[in-house]
Amino acid sequence: MTSQYLFVFAQAHAEFRIPELLSIAELYSISIQFGVEDLSKLDVSRPFMVLGLDSEEDARKLARRCILIKSVHDFWASGSTYEELHDCTRRNQHLWQKYVKDTSFKFRVDAHNHSIPQRRQRDVMESFDYMNFLGEINMKAAEIELCVYEECMYTYPDKHGTTRHKLEGDGQFIAVYFGKLIEEGTARPLLTKFDVKKRSYFGNTSMEAEISLLMANQTLASPGKLVYDPFIGTGSMAYTTAYFGAYVYGSDIDGRQMRGKGSTPGILRAASQYGVAERIMDLCTFDVTRNPWRCGEMFDAIITDPPYGVRAGAKRLGRKKPFDDQPYIPPTKPYELSALAVDLVCLARYMLKPGGRLVFFLPTVNEDYAEIDIHSLLCDGMEIVANSLQDFGSWGRRLITVKKTTAEKFPPPTFDTVPASADATAAFDTPQHIPAHKDFREKYFQGFKKEDADKPEASPVGNVAGSLAALRILGDVTPNEQTTVLDRSL
Amino acid sequence: MVRLITHNLLACHAKGCTSNNFPLKLQDVAIEVREAEFNPDFVRGFLPRLEWKALVQAARELGDTSLPEEMPEMVDDGFLKNLHHVLLEIHIDEGAMICPNCGHTYPISNGIPNMLLAEHEIG
Repeated sequence: MTSQYLFVFAQAHAEFRIPELLSIAELYSISIQFGVEDLSKLDVSRPFMVLGLDSEEDARKLARRCILIKSVHDFWASGSTYEELHDCTRRNQHLWQKYVKDTSFKFRVDAHNHSIPQRRQRDVMESFDYMNFLGEINMKAAEIELCVYEECMYTYPDKHGTTRHKLEGDGQFIAVYFGKLIEEGTARPLLTKFDVKKRSYFGNTSMEAEISLLMANQTLASPGKLVYDPFIGTGSMAYTTAYFGAYVYGSDIDGRQMRGKGSTPGILRAASQYGVAERIMDLCTFDVTRNPWRCGEMFDAIITDPPYGVRAGAKRLGRKKPFDDQPYIPPTKPYELSALAVDLVCLARYMLKPGGRLVFFLPTVNEDYAEIDIHSLLCDGMEIVANSLQDFGSWGRRLITVKKTTAEKFPPPTFDTVPASADATAAFDTPQHIPAHKDFREKYFQGFKKEDADKPEASPVGNVAGSLAALRILGDVTPNEQTTVLDRSL
Repeated sequence: MVRLITHNLLACHAKGCTSNNFPLKLQDVAIEVREAEFNPDFVRGFLPRLEWKALVQAARELGDTSLPEEMPEMVDDGFLKNLHHVLLEIHIDEGAMICPNCGHTYPISNGIPNMLLAEHEIG
């Protein structure tokens, strides 16, 4: 029988919340009732959600795996005022009757977007006295914890992320929720565990912990699965994916990124730190567009953060100019992002088992983005599962999850995609669509200026919060693409 | 690193090298055995992907004779354990893999094989 559960979410990466829930629900075969027909209508800007689940065990499983869940509760009541809340609690007496007689308990009174003075917290607790709980109040080892969450709305939404003036008040009270704690989100502390700063090996393109974990969840990583990262770099996503039990293959055109200094490859050193070295199946140096894989349909998932061409240039084997008299190392040439993305989806269709997932980031210019940008990447048998934006102001990156929905066999991709261009467009009668991530590198270094822009000095990033986050992603941005790592041997 | 499962999945991919390009010959290899957790479902699930003859041959070259010449019809736990050992616990840390057809040498250093091609070898 379905019961209702109150979920409290971390207020970060709101667009990733529903995709993560759905992925983990699919992984554990949990059915979630969202209470709406169209999931895109759910308001993810609010941290509380009441969802229907078949059992408490399902709620626990979600709380142990979803990075964005702070806690889950038996849902007992909600209301837009305290009177409504208490009426609702009285009506739902059957939910809490069994705890009245002799269960020790404590209260938690918390709020979103404001803080409740201690004096009023006590008033809130005492307002529940009609429940007549007879068990002892035990702050250290209570059998149950009753949680009250108030929710206020920012009256000045544009001030998000700033400190309010002390006399400004709490904003508009919109709702209050009441329930019994089932489980704290135990996956959330993994953010600290996988903190890049504490990692024994990382590079300037390492992915932050929270996103690496979210990506791993999108792949449905679990014991016995085989996952591949074709642009593994310093291995950020390999650690989280392996932590959830999967075996990980990695390859990169630049072996130095995987090795670092010393005789043990850097990725293995960091993986040992997390106790997952043994699940790094193998690392190989090769260009994925000239790959040595003997056959397809091997992997349960492909997870990758392809080079955007800003900090680490996307390269493939080949010569830019016909003659070049350096000492011999295989030459490389730039790999345009829109061509790379199309090739990646096509490669995934060949390399994934039926039902397998491709999870990757695609940077895009927010103003120019249109949904067709993503759909134009797809080929037959590959379907979009999720598309979540991490917003940095004038640009952002989208975490795209694609599922292979076909069992048909396909030949390996030829990697000869020609990027859409204005020249090509002119050759057709109907204009060809040019995706917003096309030539992202050039657009980035031009500060996303339009050719006919009015403002001559547009900055690459639109607002303060955006630019801070963007700097974290892009590091000290310089137009040259020399890797800063480390020893010379390939 | 370079476990035999990986060796079983890599073929020479130089330009025009499309037949007799698998399995790659092992040369001057230094191996190490490292224990790995046994997941029978993974090993069983991977069976259809394997080139059996190539795997047995590579294992024997490295001194492991636990696998039968032909892939057995009946898969029991003992067999899966042997296969697990061969696939996942034998690591080639140094040496080279050589294409039996075109002779391209793919060196392995610190357990990472360099499968990059030179420009005259790409199409």
